[in-house]
Amino acid sequence: MSGTWRTGMLSVTAISKSFPGVKSLQDVDFTAASGEIHALVGENGAGKSTLIKIISGAYVPDQGEIELDGRKVAWTSPREAQGAGIHVIYQELVLFPELTVAENVFINDQPLTRFGIIDHRLMESRADDALRRLGARIDVRRRVRELTVADQQMVEIARALVGSVKVLILDEPTAVISGREVDLLFDRLVALRTAGVAIIYISHRLEEIFRIADQVTVLKDGVRVATRPVKEVNRDQLISLMVGRALSDVFPPRRPLRNDAPILLRAEGISVGTRVKNVSLTLRAGEIVGLAGLVGSGRTELVQAIFGGVPFDAGKVEIEGTVFTRTSPRSSIDAGVGLLTEDRKGEGLLMHLGVAANIVAPRLGEIARGPFIDLGAENKIGADEIARFSIAASGPQALVASLSGGSQQKLLFSRWVRACRRVLLLDEPTRGVDVGAKVEIYRIIRQLADAGFAILMISSELLEIVGMCDRTLVMCEGAITGELTGPAITEEAIMTLALPV
Amino acid sequence: MSTAASATPRFRAPGAGAFIERNGLFVFCLVLTIGAALFAPGFRSPNNLQNVLTNAAPLGVVVLGQCLVILVRGFDLSVASVMATAAVIATSFDETTNWSVVSILAVSLLMALVVGSVNGYLVTRRKVSPFLATLAMMIVLQGVRFAWTKGAASGRVPELIRVVGSQAVYGIPINLLLLLVLALIVGITLQRTTFGRKVYMVGGNPRAAELIGINVERVTFSCYVLSSALAAVGGLVLVGYVGSVDNWVGRGYELNSIIATVMGGVSLAGGRGTVFGALVGAFVLTEIFNIALLLGFPVQFQWVVKGVVILLAVAVYLVGQRSR
Amino acid sequence: MTNDAESKPSRALALLRPLTRWLTPAVLIEIGVIALLFMIGFVISENFRTVDNVVNIFEQTTGLAFVALGQTVVILSGGIDLSLDANIALTSSLLSGVVNGRAELAAPMIAAVLTIGLTIGIVNGALILVLRVHPLIVTLAVAAIVQGITLLYTLMPIGGMPDGFDMLAFGRVFGIPIGAAFSVFCFAVVAFVLAYLRPGRQIFALGGEPAAARLVGVPVRRVILFVYGLSGLLASLTGIYLVSRLGVGNPTGDTNYNLASITPVVLGGTPLTGGRGGVLGTLLGVWLVQTLNNVLNFLDISTFYQWMIQGLIIIAAVSIFIDKRRRAA
Repeated sequence: MSGTWRTGMLSVTAISKSFPGVKSLQDVDFTAASGEIHALVGENGAGKSTLIKIISGAYVPDQGEIELDGRKVAWTSPREAQGAGIHVIYQELVLFPELTVAENVFINDQPLTRFGIIDHRLMESRADDALRRLGARIDVRRRVRELTVADQQMVEIARALVGSVKVLILDEPTAVISGREVDLLFDRLVALRTAGVAIIYISHRLEEIFRIADQVTVLKDGVRVATRPVKEVNRDQLISLMVGRALSDVFPPRRPLRNDAPILLRAEGISVGTRVKNVSLTLRAGEIVGLAGLVGSGRTELVQAIFGGVPFDAGKVEIEGTVFTRTSPRSSIDAGVGLLTEDRKGEGLLMHLGVAANIVAPRLGEIARGPFIDLGAENKIGADEIARFSIAASGPQALVASLSGGSQQKLLFSRWVRACRRVLLLDEPTRGVDVGAKVEIYRIIRQLADAGFAILMISSELLEIVGMCDRTLVMCEGAITGELTGPAITEEAIMTLALPV
Repeated sequence: MSTAASATPRFRAPGAGAFIERNGLFVFCLVLTIGAALFAPGFRSPNNLQNVLTNAAPLGVVVLGQCLVILVRGFDLSVASVMATAAVIATSFDETTNWSVVSILAVSLLMALVVGSVNGYLVTRRKVSPFLATLAMMIVLQGVRFAWTKGAASGRVPELIRVVGSQAVYGIPINLLLLLVLALIVGITLQRTTFGRKVYMVGGNPRAAELIGINVERVTFSCYVLSSALAAVGGLVLVGYVGSVDNWVGRGYELNSIIATVMGGVSLAGGRGTVFGALVGAFVLTEIFNIALLLGFPVQFQWVVKGVVILLAVAVYLVGQRSR
Repeated sequence: MTNDAESKPSRALALLRPLTRWLTPAVLIEIGVIALLFMIGFVISENFRTVDNVVNIFEQTTGLAFVALGQTVVILSGGIDLSLDANIALTSSLLSGVVNGRAELAAPMIAAVLTIGLTIGIVNGALILVLRVHPLIVTLAVAAIVQGITLLYTLMPIGGMPDGFDMLAFGRVFGIPIGAAFSVFCFAVVAFVLAYLRPGRQIFALGGEPAAARLVGVPVRRVILFVYGLSGLLASLTGIYLVSRLGVGNPTGDTNYNLASITPVVLGGTPLTGGRGGVLGTLLGVWLVQTLNNVLNFLDISTFYQWMIQGLIIIAAVSIFIDKRRRAA
């Protein structure tokens, strides 16, 4: 096993942390025992991220103490915490795209030769070892920016495992990997647990928690609600602890498909470099079509190409009879197509503008009188939409940055529902969204379909696809490997089609 | 690819800290003005105040344009060169030909539009960094200008320009009025028109703006063109004020205008800031020089003062402006 | 793990691998353009073809070389240094002004002036860290202060250096100019640090992803102080070189190195945003710019037109290159 680990026990007591305007954590106790996998769950905004950042030294708590191995510690930087054996694998990758894989794995601890210079060869071989043991086959000499997101996550994990680790924290590590990679990751985690490492595991995917964790702590609104051994709790109990209410039906009921519904969008022979190979699909009014597949199978590229966010090399798109040999966001929007992107902060939201401004953005013409903007109209639209979608914002002028993930996502829904009339392309619509907001979003999607929209939904959560979609296309390595309809949509069937042969 | 978010919280900050963050420059300006009124001999005289405002006017005009470009994540290093070239053009035609002032102004403006278009084209279509594109244009214009004037610019400043640049109406300098009119136009455009909204969107998140259907290239291109046009106007106003021309009109204005704009709260990262803030920044910068002069410091000491005050003003933003 | 059957030569080859990363498209283009310029030069003038002229070109690169090297490292770390002209103004003026012909003061003043340059750099770095403001603003403000101090010391070039001091700039050993050779040596040292020492990797990390660098534990403070200190130190070397070349310092600050130092960096393929690139590109960029100037001189093009042409060529070179990558620097 690469790296060495010392056994340790981490406990935090009475931790409080406030940011201007918001109390992020209040009087939270938490213990991660060595040789144990302790899951941390809670809705977005519950404080998990803040707690982790305090443990890892990125934040300093306002009150409370941290103890490692029975001794009090007070870190002021991540570097100090790392020196003490605390390693974090963040949800958003902390990688350096221009450096090589090997350099990223050993970003702070490059092995040196006798003379004090970096021993590139040793560094590369050790990085290679670490990655192999995670089941990843990556050329450690390549620059990280050339890798797929899944491979990048592997590099990230390898980095945490090559140091000496006492406490390993993982924040949604399976957000971008699936299947075999998850299995191998879990194998490593179990091995680390046996060796005495304390592991803290944050995830929205409750199945994983039941699969691998020993203890689970629920945070809600900055407060620790409960800590239970995983064996003594079931899924519904966990959800109700997180949300504060019982959830029986997460997914709205499906309607039967009508074969005579008009075709709203037809894509034929779309190819994008090596990422998308000759894909065709049709979308009818009133149906929710799922697009499943492993991360990196080309789903996002396909959807972006259809919308016009990236150009396609071959093929054409037909929207309600009008044929487009080249698509652009403007032409798609005018034709009634909208795209809710995977990366809402990077490609979707305008962080320094208000809620209302973000909602009206694709259709400024609606609030324009001549060249001027009617701020009153904009505010009214903002207020209406906040009410309609239950967006938790202080008002139409509230900064988008102050919204929770779920509210931001709902805002984007509001934007695109207003802007387009026919077709909605959704890329991971519930990523980074807490359970409560997820339910609302599912309801919104179903309502849109019932109102006559055609919806294409990319999701990596199989339960979501199974629960929501009338029809599912599965992609693998750029091509569509199969289509499932109705009751044939099961997790096993999807996975079978999604895995490369 | 997305990488780790910074450690800053994502909430709007209420309270005193936020007040300073958003209004720091104005607070500083107030403090500076009051301090000067009390301690700088001659500051309070109406003559001096008018001087300061008149001095600030050309810089203010240029700052309006720089503000637009910085809002779309660029900056324009060619403004000083455009100023000088516009001034040279305006003063070159007077003696030898019988062109009317209007035609002369038209030629100057045309030059500016061409320069701005080239800047805009290089930045949007060829993806050249704004630094290099505008720097290169600055050098090219310099060459053109020097070659045209054979190294020594001379000529009479047309009457109209001189009046606008240095006369006053009911005690208010005309160039100041011109600045205010232009500022109103640009300010209203940014806050109240669809174009202005697009500027903020493009600067805040170009990729998101693209996916929203905005023609990012056209918006960016327009900002560069406007910046050059305003720089030309600024150059004419300056030369009208000074009364004579040389090849180095507006020297230093490119950096001064960037500093003033950034001090005024317009972030170099794009998408944030207002014209009002930028103008206050221009005013503060001019005020600083004026105060140093009044306090009897040798001209050279102005440099030190300028540097120190910039650092102080910027230090007030500890919460707000982060490095890149 | 390691295969002992691997022979020494292949191990040595592996150690050299970072060097292959240096042959980027930008570097190759630069080499091509320099070759092209030489061909043009050869054709248009007999005098161009002389060894003396070629050596002259090399020798004239010295001043720009030092500042461009410092600027490269700063830009790689994600920043920029615009205090170069002021730095040079102060260091060159102090050197010639204090020494004033007295040989015994030369060496100590050189040491003093190098220290001053280094200090200016460290002040830059410290202010950037403390104020957390864009280096553009900080270095400009520091430049203003330093320039003011310089002008308070003297408005005109004053003093002078003892005989023989011009050897630093003009002296040759085996026909190779000392100053220029030293500048190349400096490039080599920095290149080594960037590729083979930890601080080197940390500089790239910081420039590429500043937020990630902090989270991952890169010693941000040390890196920033190092890069700006180095830049300040190298700028004072240029100051010393200028004094050696002109015989006296220049307090006006119109040496234009602030902007001139950035051109070779960008021509060399290092984007202004940092995190990527290297010093070989900059070195070739410096030679390219100097060769261009020399050719234009031989074409008898007045300085004014030379400016134009330089600007246009920069635009052409950079826009073609960047267009290939479709990435805004």
